[in-house]
Amino acid sequence: MPIAHTPTTVPVIVDEAKCIADKGCTVCVDVCPLDVLRISDLTGKAYMKYDECWYCMPCEADCPTGAVTVNIPYLLR
Amino acid sequence: MDEIKDGLTEVSCDVLVIGGGTAGPMAAYKAKRRNPATRVVLLEKANVKRSGAIAMGMDGLNNAVVPGYATPEQYTKEITIANDGICDQAPVYKYASHCFDIIQELDRVGIKFQKNENGDFDVKKVHHLGSYVLPMPNGDTVKKALYRQLRREKVLISNRYMATRLLTGRDGQIAGAIAINTRSAEFLVLRAKTVILCAGAAGRLGLPQSGYLWGTYENATNSGDGYAMAYHAGAGLANLECYQINPLIKDYNGPACAYVAGPFGAYTANSEGNRFIECDYWSGQMMQEFYNELQSGKGPVFLKLNHLHSDTVGKIEAVLHNVERPSRGRFHENRGTNYRERMIEMHISEIGFCSGHSASGVYVDEFARTTVPGLYAAGDMASVPHNYMLGAFTNGAVAGEHAADFAQGIDLPEYDPGDVSREQARVLAPTKREDGIPPNQLEYKTRRFVNDYLQPPKVTAKMKLGQARFVEIRDDMENAMVVRDAHELMRSLEVASILDCAEMAAFASLFRTESRWGLYHHRVEYPEKNDDEWFCHSILRQQNRQMTAEKRPVAPYIVPIDESERSAYDRQRIRQQA
Amino acid sequence: MMGVEPFEAFGDLDEISERLASPDPSVRRLAVIDLVETSSGEAIPLLVRAAGDPAAEVRLQAARALGEFDGVDVAKALIGALVDSDAAVAQEAAGSLAEIRDSRASAVLLPLVAHSSAFVRAAILRALKALQVSESLGPAVAALGDGDAAVRVQAVGVIGYLKQVETLPSLIHATRDASADVRLAAINALSFARNDAAAQAAASALSDREWQVRAAAAETIGRIGHASAVNPLIASLQDGYWQVRQKALQNLGKLRARAAVGAIIPFLADALPSLRKDAAAALGDIADAEARDALATRVHDEDPDVRKTAIWALAQIGARN
Repeated sequence: MPIAHTPTTVPVIVDEAKCIADKGCTVCVDVCPLDVLRISDLTGKAYMKYDECWYCMPCEADCPTGAVTVNIPYLLR
Repeated sequence: MDEIKDGLTEVSCDVLVIGGGTAGPMAAYKAKRRNPATRVVLLEKANVKRSGAIAMGMDGLNNAVVPGYATPEQYTKEITIANDGICDQAPVYKYASHCFDIIQELDRVGIKFQKNENGDFDVKKVHHLGSYVLPMPNGDTVKKALYRQLRREKVLISNRYMATRLLTGRDGQIAGAIAINTRSAEFLVLRAKTVILCAGAAGRLGLPQSGYLWGTYENATNSGDGYAMAYHAGAGLANLECYQINPLIKDYNGPACAYVAGPFGAYTANSEGNRFIECDYWSGQMMQEFYNELQSGKGPVFLKLNHLHSDTVGKIEAVLHNVERPSRGRFHENRGTNYRERMIEMHISEIGFCSGHSASGVYVDEFARTTVPGLYAAGDMASVPHNYMLGAFTNGAVAGEHAADFAQGIDLPEYDPGDVSREQARVLAPTKREDGIPPNQLEYKTRRFVNDYLQPPKVTAKMKLGQARFVEIRDDMENAMVVRDAHELMRSLEVASILDCAEMAAFASLFRTESRWGLYHHRVEYPEKNDDEWFCHSILRQQNRQMTAEKRPVAPYIVPIDESERSAYDRQRIRQQA
Repeated sequence: MMGVEPFEAFGDLDEISERLASPDPSVRRLAVIDLVETSSGEAIPLLVRAAGDPAAEVRLQAARALGEFDGVDVAKALIGALVDSDAAVAQEAAGSLAEIRDSRASAVLLPLVAHSSAFVRAAILRALKALQVSESLGPAVAALGDGDAAVRVQAVGVIGYLKQVETLPSLIHATRDASADVRLAAINALSFARNDAAAQAAASALSDREWQVRAAAAETIGRIGHASAVNPLIASLQDGYWQVRQKALQNLGKLRARAAVGAIIPFLADALPSLRKDAAAALGDIADAEARDALATRVHDEDPDVRKTAIWALAQIGARN
């Protein structure tokens, strides 16, 4: 049986204009306890790859440029 | 990143610490300080910088035994009473005697506890029993300060490695652990003379009412891996039927924060705005009262701050919205909730295992030793009751120092290489399938059944149905689960831990045929506490590949409990159940 | 069986140095972050240099990074950053400076207590407070006359942490400061004193125009533990703010003020359950038999905390009479 993908709106958003992942930064990816963030091969910027967010906020707090915003997941809002 | 690679590396050390949250860093730090020649490895599934229950910090201590405010005797007595007497006092007393040293040490390395204008710790008195609350309004830097110390001591840190099984030697003593890289699936065999398990709570056991798998009270990384590993290594686990259930803000996973807001004059109220909690102790009894009120005509339950001055509320918000669970402010903002105007709706959390707030866990003595030689446990997963953060630090320190000493006197134990190849086969099996059930569906189903069948009030027939469902899910997990990348492989291993914990929760709950610890173990068919038959620990362990349970006597008290103190507490209980 | 290196690297200073020379400020900024990871004292000179980087974002990161290290050189670099043209860098530097624990840093801090910028003066005093060196006392007392309230608050902090009886007159003077923040800090700082002058100063502050100061004064009286302030504290039971009345109740209990029993008893019938509870607790602390009948009426109060506290208080009276 094939595996389907169910769409979800992800809570962590990254302002690509501010993100410096393309310069070698991996801070948000490093600090996420659930390990849900990745750097996109396409854009060189950070993004949320897995919808498994505890909305704990180290990614936002530790981002050196203020590029990351953590929203409350929609199911809990 | 994330594609599955082949690989196997072996390293050796004297002390292996599994889990880099709260107890783990302290254990590693203390082992290294005790003897700088000790080779210490700290293994962490996430990143030590931001992992575990205090990833974003902690807003206060609930159980600080500070000279002049409380005594170790008084603390030990209160914890014993709050746990209905089922308490080995030695580790509790040891904690109470050592924790102030730890506070001072943490203060020296830059962890910020509230001080008054004279530079003294600003301990708050919340009620007449004893003063244990030390606020940490700037507690957002806890992890940073710990991490700094670990780096200075040159502790070897392995981030993004998840331990999957412990290795034992020929005589059953600990020999190390097997771990897997969570981003590449490469294996790491860690040979060790001693292992300290600090893998945190089993927080992903019940399903939050929202249905969101990750909306748990505990850090959602804490999937109970430590309990599962200890179990498979043959260690005894104590009182797992004494669940953790906590009050929290409804829909938000943040705690009610009575300890933050309480000293400012906030309190838990029913829908009429009145206090209703009789119990003096944070305990299952208190949760039973909370649950009863939720279900009653006076429910739901609220956190009440709207009687406080706007400036006071501002001070509380400055803590609650910046430390420990800082997305709380955003949650309230979305719903237009202002603490000044409205009471805040509360609810109870999903069930879990966590000695931080209750009394279950891998059985340990006052040196943090488990029943497996060379294996230690500390923090939320060890059986010292009502540990909270300071208990994790203190008992982590105890474990680290003892393990460093113990390792000095022994050789590196041999392990069976067959254990490694068998574990590789188990772990990688779902990656060999082209098609099947993904881990998130297995997890959702397990946790839904945990809610349906294991949540109190506990009913025998329901728990047995739950057990039957878990067997079916295990069959699916072992024969039909499919995993497509290394990240998902980590999740599949977490599912195995969750399922192990669910089976242990059911087994332990069925074993104890009485009610105890208020809501935590409220068995409908056995509504009374039965001291004649059940004034004992229950110890669950694996023997001959079977789950077994036995009674273990409570160790004789070091601090005697006055009969009148105990009966005063019992009277409170009877009035509430009447 | 060899494979990947499983341990976090400590970083290579030479390699990081090269990145610190990159023309791209983002690359330099990331190099600063990696310097912290080395946890090596040898990173300090490189961080000091980064604190003078042409790009504000790099200086900001360096000011933050220096907070992870200690020592005189770190303090010097942070002091320099206090006058950064970018306000965010200066703020970050002030925060990092307050993390310094090496008492030798006081030698480089003290000459700046009279700096022309109030922001710098406040940051210097805040850093000195944590060091707790007696050389700070004179400059801190002098700074109580500073024109800027934020500086005076920090000066009270320095004096309060040193807990010297000879500074009491200056602290008492500060309890009458024009700024409520300074008065509040000074009232709290008086707590270490165990003498009548301090108790009287706190008693005077019970009529401060700010309720927060009045509430703090009641607490300070409780901590000083001098009976001479009991009567003003009893008068505070009539304060316009329940928060102040509550502190008065709590601290009359702490002082075991028998003279207050008659004035406390009416609070057992207060509309606010928290005040009823604190009244019962105070009467339990004082344990005067005169309160027995009044307490007995609260054993069936609708509020469980009031009930429990009344029962406890009656037991105290029983035990001590």
